[in-house]
Amino acid sequence: MRVLGIDTALGACSACVLDGSTVVAEETLVLDRGHAEALLPLIERVMAAVPGGFESLDRVAVTVGPGSFTGLRVGISAARAIGLAAGVPVVGVTTLSAFLAPLVAAGGNRLNAAAIDARHGHLYFQCIAAGGRTIVPARHVSVRDAARVIGSGPMTIAGSGAAILGNELRNLGVDAKIADAEIAPHIAWVARLGMAADPATALPKPVYLRAPDAKPQEHMRIPRR
Amino acid sequence: MRVLGIETTCDETAAAVVGLAGDGRGAILSNEILSQITEHAAYGGVVPEIAARAHVEVVDRLVARALKAADVSLKDIDAVAAAAGPGLIGGVIVGLTTGKALSLVSGKPFIAVNHLEAHALTARMTDGVAFPYLLLLASGGHTQLLAVRGVGDYVRLGTTIDDAIGEAFDKTAKTLGLPYPGGPEVERQALQGDPTRFALPRPLVGRPDPDFSLSGLKTAVRIEAERIAPLSARDVADLCASFQAAVVDVVADRVRMGLRAFRQKAGHPTALVVAGGVAANQAIRRGLTRLASEAGLPLVTPPPALCTDNGAMIAWAGLERLRLGLTDDLTAPARARWPLEAASAA
Repeated sequence: MRVLGIDTALGACSACVLDGSTVVAEETLVLDRGHAEALLPLIERVMAAVPGGFESLDRVAVTVGPGSFTGLRVGISAARAIGLAAGVPVVGVTTLSAFLAPLVAAGGNRLNAAAIDARHGHLYFQCIAAGGRTIVPARHVSVRDAARVIGSGPMTIAGSGAAILGNELRNLGVDAKIADAEIAPHIAWVARLGMAADPATALPKPVYLRAPDAKPQEHMRIPRR
Repeated sequence: MRVLGIETTCDETAAAVVGLAGDGRGAILSNEILSQITEHAAYGGVVPEIAARAHVEVVDRLVARALKAADVSLKDIDAVAAAAGPGLIGGVIVGLTTGKALSLVSGKPFIAVNHLEAHALTARMTDGVAFPYLLLLASGGHTQLLAVRGVGDYVRLGTTIDDAIGEAFDKTAKTLGLPYPGGPEVERQALQGDPTRFALPRPLVGRPDPDFSLSGLKTAVRIEAERIAPLSARDVADLCASFQAAVVDVVADRVRMGLRAFRQKAGHPTALVVAGGVAANQAIRRGLTRLASEAGLPLVTPPPALCTDNGAMIAWAGLERLRLGLTDDLTAPARARWPLEAASAA
């Protein structure tokens, strides 16, 4: 199976083509903003290195968040449109699972956690046991609450929030090891998880984990009889 | 020649396929639209993040529907056009990225369309209006008088210095407790009201520069309403009628000055064209019909579904630009602000 992986949910703009276990082409730009301008030219460069081009794809995989609301919509919009134009299914992969995947693949019997810096003292956070059992499902949580809910460890953490969470855990006396503090998941893992995903359930829909900042307005209204 | 158009700059997700008819007008092969009115109703206005979230869920499906309804595939079209602004940036990015990706995979040229230019050129799709013409573009987000001299050749004669006309309607509706979207509701209420009961101001009327100002009028409605609160149904209808009558007077006077400015800067217009959601207001239309006949010009108002945001206008603007070889590359940026004069540079 040949999969195009796309990630713009966090601090990078990435794409790769994975054919079976071989990465055919790959490019990653570290990018805080400007994903909307950078992504399609980047995909064009990646696909130019893929014999057979878009017609040779079997599937598109895209990170669906949690992450930057605008960023994840860039990737999802591109992925869904590519799927439509190329006539192939599109699957969604969460950023948290893409951070966790290499930890799980490395084995060991520690707890594994993914922590993404969501700013203002908060994380997007997920924690799983060595066997893959969910300890804490994906959620938006304060650093302090994330540290508390984990228990005693020992644990390995990946993601842009790994250092923040690691500090908090060490203050609590927990054995916490930082595996990887990358700002974005490795794009090949996005494609690998996408290859394994079931298109019927891994939908390419945003996972925001936070509601929009908007409140209904009533204060302007003049009273009626 | 057939172009796919995608629109996501505000609260409508839309996609359309437009071709060229034998007489030079546009042939709308499909025009699919999904409005987000219910998503925003509780907030009394469009919430940008809610709009962006809604666009990304549906835009690919709208494109698929538009292609199917036109009975074409991406292979059969000549270009992909998407609105790249001005508008709510989160939504713009969704439609723009979708359009670029479709262009990349299909190998068809990409065109980043200015949403205002699309409104400005709609009358050529529907009525084959020749350049140059005077355009009143009036919606919830924009109020401008433009000399449309050619594709990419626009001179802004006047604009609002505060609220857009549609915005004034919507805010007045909100003040009076009318449901969202307020514009059509104010018009409905005004039908039963007395337009002379409240003496409201006509801001800028008589001034030579064809600019608009609506915020003082909106505030005057609020002051009157607060003075007589609590409001009866009669009060609300009379306030709406008085407000609408003031807007009709303002629009007629400002467009008259716009015509004068047009003749100084761009010669003789072939028509007076009105576009944008406000063009659906019958009272404003009647005022402009009178004015156009005084001036000896035809009044051209595209049908309401093509005056408000839609995909066909984006496809048509893309087609007009494609004919002139004006295509864009995949780095084209999404723009929250994009004055029409700047579209000329492309």
